[in-house]
Amino acid sequence: MTKTRAPAGPKLRNTWSQIFETGMGARVYPYLMVLPAVLVVVGVVVYPVISGIMTAFYDVTLRTLNTGTAQFVGFRNFERVFADPVFVLASTNTLIWVVLNVVAQLGLGLALALLLHRAMPGIGFFRSGILVPWVVPSVVAVLTWRWMYDPSVGIANEILLKLGILDRNHPWLGDTATSLYAVTVESIWKGTPFVMLLLLAALQMVPRSILEAASMDGASGWRKLWYVILPQIRVSFAIAAVLTFILTVNNFNAIWLMTEGGPLNSSEILFTLAYKYGFQRFDLGKASAVATMLFVGLVIATTVYLKLIQAKEGD
Amino acid sequence: MDTVAIHPRQRERSAPRVVKRSFQLPRPVRTALVYITLWIAFIWAVFPFYWMIATSIRPKDEIFQRPPSLIPNGATLQNYIDLLVGAQFWRFAMNSLLLTVAVTIISVLISVTAGYAMARHRFKGSVTLPLFMLYGQMFPPVLLLIPFYVQLRFLGWLDSLWGLIPVYLSYMLPLCVWLMRGFFSQVPFSLEDAARMDGCTRWQAFWKVILPMARPGIVAVATWVMIHTWNEFLYASTFILSDTKRTLPLGLSGLIGQYTTDWGVLMAGGVLTAAPILLVFFILQKQLVSGIGGGAVKG
Repeated sequence: MTKTRAPAGPKLRNTWSQIFETGMGARVYPYLMVLPAVLVVVGVVVYPVISGIMTAFYDVTLRTLNTGTAQFVGFRNFERVFADPVFVLASTNTLIWVVLNVVAQLGLGLALALLLHRAMPGIGFFRSGILVPWVVPSVVAVLTWRWMYDPSVGIANEILLKLGILDRNHPWLGDTATSLYAVTVESIWKGTPFVMLLLLAALQMVPRSILEAASMDGASGWRKLWYVILPQIRVSFAIAAVLTFILTVNNFNAIWLMTEGGPLNSSEILFTLAYKYGFQRFDLGKASAVATMLFVGLVIATTVYLKLIQAKEGD
Repeated sequence: MDTVAIHPRQRERSAPRVVKRSFQLPRPVRTALVYITLWIAFIWAVFPFYWMIATSIRPKDEIFQRPPSLIPNGATLQNYIDLLVGAQFWRFAMNSLLLTVAVTIISVLISVTAGYAMARHRFKGSVTLPLFMLYGQMFPPVLLLIPFYVQLRFLGWLDSLWGLIPVYLSYMLPLCVWLMRGFFSQVPFSLEDAARMDGCTRWQAFWKVILPMARPGIVAVATWVMIHTWNEFLYASTFILSDTKRTLPLGLSGLIGQYTTDWGVLMAGGVLTAAPILLVFFILQKQLVSGIGGGAVKG
């Protein structure tokens, strides 16, 4: 530390923090403040990500981990993944899973936000109630849905029977044709309120004068929605879409705790597949190969997200 | 962007009174339609939660009765007693609590200083670092899972609650810093300048002026970390192997049996796991909603 040559006026009491007031201290001080965060992030995010991507190119299994003799194998792990028919199935499932989730959550979220964005008696009550799925811990929510889907005494079957949609109990999670969609319903239920919150926040930023002007010009509700409201909230809508995409790709709990990707891989997504490669077969190289591919997809999505945020700040 | 939950009464006051419309359904019909839709959405959102509570207070024989009845015929606390009499549940709760407190304190301390410096000072990297933090948040957990496993194994921290702390920081800290920076940049610069003019040191200005102003943001971030640590399942289920070190979500999933599952006890556990989160949420609803919505979307 250089000696502080600050003309320590009578007002400035001598404290230990004085060394950060001028000169070298003042220049170093912001770095000192961000240092812990940077160290932790480098240690627990950057380094693991790099080493995770490296693992994809090595032949890492429990045995080679113990002996420390993992060999560089180039793209062999990727080739082995592509040769696995389950990988193709999991990719298709991931696509279905992501598209269904994103479309349904955004559609329902927007509808709910529009409904709740109005002055009506009791609206606070509805808003709190609709936020419940977002607040319930995801493991608890998933287990509750698993219980509701129970093939013999589940309430889901009972309600569908009463409504006349089904004529006998259906094992929603146990049938290869329905397992992925049954989990999707839970995931939509859980994810929609967050989208609704983001869009509600955006709706409240739409200047009232614009809406009034549109009404004065005789715009009907739908036209107002399409030509006035949606363009105004487009950035928030896009951010919500990207966030939903990221959260859906990374949604492990729902699938794992309801079906573990089964039966017969019918609800397997890439995430659960990588998990199985890694922690059931302990073929860590193969798992990392799948994870790396997911990572590339997410980096692209994140880049889009950041561009959108910057567009929003520019507004 | 910083107030999301506007009170309905405020809305009413500023709502336009006279609106000219083209063809539309008569007003009472439209109001009725809106309310019907709202009720459907409400029931859809709340029903699983209701069903969890309803199952948890049913007598054992009624849970497996066919067809299930929507409203429990008898109420009993037997499921809760069964759950709490075993020492396991308490242990899981203690594990979760310890972990949550540790992770929350560490991430708030680190992110407050970093967020403040990023919002207030121009230095090399003051623009790119926050973006870098946000990227850090987006890394898929499955990619981190394998290197974490290898490292924890190497350090001998597998199957240890302490080993989970750095793991959790990896998925909390980047967003915490990002959100904190957002909150600190909303505090006007002039306030700190004024405090400094009045003879505060940097530390005093930070401690006595800036920190109280940013308190809602700090509360929001701390709660966000608490909720996510409390709920975390993936890392815990991969790195925790022995029964005694399980956290609550892990303990709950462990109640699912291979052949039979005691759903009454499981749902009672679900209620008790969700209760602290719900409590925190409804106490802090306003701050949280504006914090997550405002901080996450705005820089």
